[in-house]
Amino acid sequence: MKTSFVASFSRTLVTVLLALLVGGLIMQLSGKDAMGAYQVLWNSAVGSPRALANTLLAATPLIFTGLATLIAFKAGIFNVGVEGSLYVGAFAAAWVGFTFVDMPGILLIPLAFFAGGLVGGLWGLIPGYLKARLRVDEIVTTIMLNYVAILFTNYLVTGPFFVPGMANAMSAEVAPQAQLPRLMERSQLNISFLLALVVLALVAFLLRRTALGYEIQTLGTNATFARWMGMPVARTILLVMFLSGLIGGLAGAGQALGVHYRFVGGFSQGLGFDGIVITLLGRNTPGGVLLASLFLGALRSGASTMEMFTQIPRDLIDIVTALLIFFVAVEVTVPKVWKYWRGGSKTQMAASGSER
Amino acid sequence: METGELILNIVASTLRLSTPLLLAAMAGLLSLQVGQVNIGLEGLMLAGAFTTVVVGFWLGSTWLGVLAAIIVGMLLAALFTLVVTRFKANLIVSGLAINLLASGSTAYLLKVLFDTSGTLSPASLESLPTVNIPVLSDIPVIGSLVFSQSPLVYVSWLMVPLTALFLYRSIPGTHIRAIGQNEEAARSVGIPVRRRQYLALMLGGGLCGLAGAHLAVGDLALFREDMTAGRGFIALAAVYFAAGRPRWAALACLLFGMFEALQFRLQLISSTPPQFFQMLPYVMVVVVLAIISARKEWRKGW
Amino acid sequence: MPYLEVRAIRKTYPGGVLANDDIHFNVEAGEIHGLVGENGAGKSTLMKILYGMEQPDSGEIWLGGQRAHIAHPQAAIQLGIGMVHQHFQLVPTLTVAENIALGRETRRGLFADRGVMRERVRALSDQFGLHVNPDALASDLSVGLQQRVEILKMLYRNARLLILDEPSAVLTPQEVVSLFEVLRRLVAEGCTAIFITHKLDEIMTLCDRATVLRRGQVVGTVETARVTPAEIARLMVGHELEPPLARKASAAESRDRLIVRDLQTGDARLQNTTVNFSVKSGEILGIAGVEGNGQTGLVEALIGLRPDAKGDILLDGTNLHGLSTRDRRKRGLALIPEDRNREGLSRPMRIWENLASGEYDRSPLNTGGVLRLERMRTAARALMERFDIRAPNEGVAVSTLSGGNAQKVVIARELATPPAVLIASQPTRGLDIGATGFVHEQLLNLREQGCGVLLISADLDELLALSDRIAVLFEGRILRIFPREEATREQIGLAMAGKVESEQAR
Repeated sequence: MKTSFVASFSRTLVTVLLALLVGGLIMQLSGKDAMGAYQVLWNSAVGSPRALANTLLAATPLIFTGLATLIAFKAGIFNVGVEGSLYVGAFAAAWVGFTFVDMPGILLIPLAFFAGGLVGGLWGLIPGYLKARLRVDEIVTTIMLNYVAILFTNYLVTGPFFVPGMANAMSAEVAPQAQLPRLMERSQLNISFLLALVVLALVAFLLRRTALGYEIQTLGTNATFARWMGMPVARTILLVMFLSGLIGGLAGAGQALGVHYRFVGGFSQGLGFDGIVITLLGRNTPGGVLLASLFLGALRSGASTMEMFTQIPRDLIDIVTALLIFFVAVEVTVPKVWKYWRGGSKTQMAASGSER
Repeated sequence: METGELILNIVASTLRLSTPLLLAAMAGLLSLQVGQVNIGLEGLMLAGAFTTVVVGFWLGSTWLGVLAAIIVGMLLAALFTLVVTRFKANLIVSGLAINLLASGSTAYLLKVLFDTSGTLSPASLESLPTVNIPVLSDIPVIGSLVFSQSPLVYVSWLMVPLTALFLYRSIPGTHIRAIGQNEEAARSVGIPVRRRQYLALMLGGGLCGLAGAHLAVGDLALFREDMTAGRGFIALAAVYFAAGRPRWAALACLLFGMFEALQFRLQLISSTPPQFFQMLPYVMVVVVLAIISARKEWRKGW
Repeated sequence: MPYLEVRAIRKTYPGGVLANDDIHFNVEAGEIHGLVGENGAGKSTLMKILYGMEQPDSGEIWLGGQRAHIAHPQAAIQLGIGMVHQHFQLVPTLTVAENIALGRETRRGLFADRGVMRERVRALSDQFGLHVNPDALASDLSVGLQQRVEILKMLYRNARLLILDEPSAVLTPQEVVSLFEVLRRLVAEGCTAIFITHKLDEIMTLCDRATVLRRGQVVGTVETARVTPAEIARLMVGHELEPPLARKASAAESRDRLIVRDLQTGDARLQNTTVNFSVKSGEILGIAGVEGNGQTGLVEALIGLRPDAKGDILLDGTNLHGLSTRDRRKRGLALIPEDRNREGLSRPMRIWENLASGEYDRSPLNTGGVLRLERMRTAARALMERFDIRAPNEGVAVSTLSGGNAQKVVIARELATPPAVLIASQPTRGLDIGATGFVHEQLLNLREQGCGVLLISADLDELLALSDRIAVLFEGRILRIFPREEATREQIGLAMAGKVESEQAR
């Protein structure tokens, strides 16, 4: 197990470097100084305690959504709907935060997170139920339900929870005691980062040490076998989709209570989809999710400073991320490609199975 | 009289708004039929819109911009095909990567090339000229609304029967469907599977390029970051809604285009929140899929 | 000069299985030539070689007096060889004509000339009496008609030698009759056919000659007019007896451990058939039968994977009807499934994880939902010792194990606590001699401990060596149950082919 971790880590490192290299090439081609830009990026991501704090801040929702995607992946369920759970969870948490304004923070914050997680989980149960009972493909339903969640929450803050005088679609501000305590001066880094770490530990424990985790693993590696052993397959799917949605909801709650202090329509910009990237980069392990989140968080938080100082658009990071996905997706099968070129036989490629 | 005018107004904008959906839906349909669903339609469209404006501006010809959009769409689709067929990368992940690549690189290039962010509307770039269909456009009232449109509107309507004809009547189209349903059978009779997959997906890429071009120069002549606004996914919804049948997909696009038209008009006169119209396509797909599956399960005697 | 001549074909698969060993046979032009043998006798390998799907290690194929090199199916088609697979290769939403012409369409510009294609299909249908509507969708056709389309597909490609791989296995009796008519017509029109089957009556009614394979070798080519079914059966199952296993006299008590009464498995093809049998304590009940006669449905219904199965399954007197798979297992039903890699193991998971998959949900491996990993590993090590599982340690993935060791993992898990009844479905398939012996030993041990064992096997030798009684499953029902003393190869072989002599089915 140790060696395979080192191997997969170093393979990922190679793809990361390759993507950064191509990113650098793009910068050079557009007449910018790539080395200088990366230096600024590095400094503004980890160069100072405050930079580091901002990196952790950017990594926080990624850890959540990465874990949400991971837990579903482990059961062989392709949940693209973390984004949707994140929205409904964020709204539910914000609603608690601006509704129960008389409650002390020590109660209000847990209640808001609880509401966010619960609503996110229930949202995940919709495609979960459709998959477990009716065998509807979860990929299509989760993609579609994302937009329903985004639009519905947008409606909520422009309709029933409209705040007069606000230009954009956003809710009222949550009560001051519901705003998550910060961990550091002059940085928005807040306790939701700690919660993310706790959830990470819980997910790792769940997957490795519990009966449910065992069922998830069996279902994900061989669903037929799980059925033949008499494992409760439908129940496991429902539970997994609930948990996945719940963690996605916590991600939304953390952003609403810790960063925006309100629900802002369309705030996520794909944090839920990032979960897929994170899991892919993190090789389907909780530890990998943490590393990948920190990496992507560093890139993102560094990118805005980089844009300020070097006039290199932060959108470069999206290009690098996209390249990274391609490289990881392709690299998984590099040995096969090798064999293909050396053997020169088409049937080998055709026969090799596809990665899910 | 006022309501009559409103209805005609809605009809006209429905036609205009469903054009990108139709083109993208035909692309999605080709990808579904060949068995490699492409959720990167959104990104292909965005890249197409950007290319149209930039190349059209540089070369001083909107039509050359449209041509370039088609080519860029096809190239990106070729990249997608390479990754998902030869390297067996996951379809969904690869589609998402295409979307991210398109939104990232258009925004990046916008800033690097034009030193602007958000919107690019070169003054010298003209939108596509309205084409009046002879005779038909002279029909009172309806004529000017339906038969006096941007050329790509007609193209999009032409693409529906053409796609159907291609898939159901032509030899390569038949092969594409065969591959999507039973790749083994297609291989066993000597169909060049990989080449046909490229064909289907790259044709789709070209259609998405056109869809993007329509967004960019069909009405106004401008590019805006993320101007596709989820249309790729609505097109995908139409495809699933229609279970891959061109005619039904076209109808769904028209319906979804009408929702979009309604949401603009009705906002002024009714209290129905626009989001509900925007949501409808997605909700309808989930409901339809659930009903189809439920019926299948009941028949199996569950 | 024979039309097709196969000379000294030899084929060894990676892993050392000798599938074809010096195969000689020939087929005359215009003949329907039967190819018979039990499962694993080497028929399909031979056919794959003829159709270019496999390459022989040595040997030659001569076709029409010329040496033929068949590198891939396309080459076979070029040579006029067509094959109708057991699993049809049709595209459901294409029409019959489109399916037939697929990949060889008549062009008219970019488009297929449907008129010409339809006419050619119709002409072929008329010529060979294969009537099927060229405009129907393939998905709307019955299995019998789908098969016709497959045959037409071959004829459309000008096949003169048709290979049919167990074509009757999926058909109703009426469809079989019309298939035979079609084949006779084809031969009358100048085609030659190789007909693979293990049903003796089909050989007798349809074929002129038949070549019998056994264990990868040709044991004889017979003219059907000159032999009896019994003689072919004897050739198929062989004469020699292996040294009997050390097997104590019947340990059976009178106590029934498993009673199956009027069980309907819900197989679409085997409707209105019910299964009845019982397994006593200390007894091994063998189930013989050609594959596809209801074995899969029986196993799935017993273990609880067929929610629409009807009938009673009594395990030590408790009716299992309506109970979940897990509850059935908890009540003492154990299972060695037919396809261990799909149904019996999770190959990416570790040995200890696989060994725990029956007990992970309860004490002592589980306290309050939390797994006791150390206990699981310790238990796994003990089981590996007890069942002689050869692996570096309990933490390696099952996918790294040999077939025999993987099967031992299944057996160790299922027998860790002695079950009331064990269902063993093809438990030695693909195993080497050593592992096979180990499995047999385990089954006999169980028998002595008083368990009931239901042994489903395609290997007659195995059944004869181990079983106290042998039931023959044919077309979804138990045709007859032979007490050990009365069970002979010939009798069982005939029953497997649907022929019961004198005695009534029980």
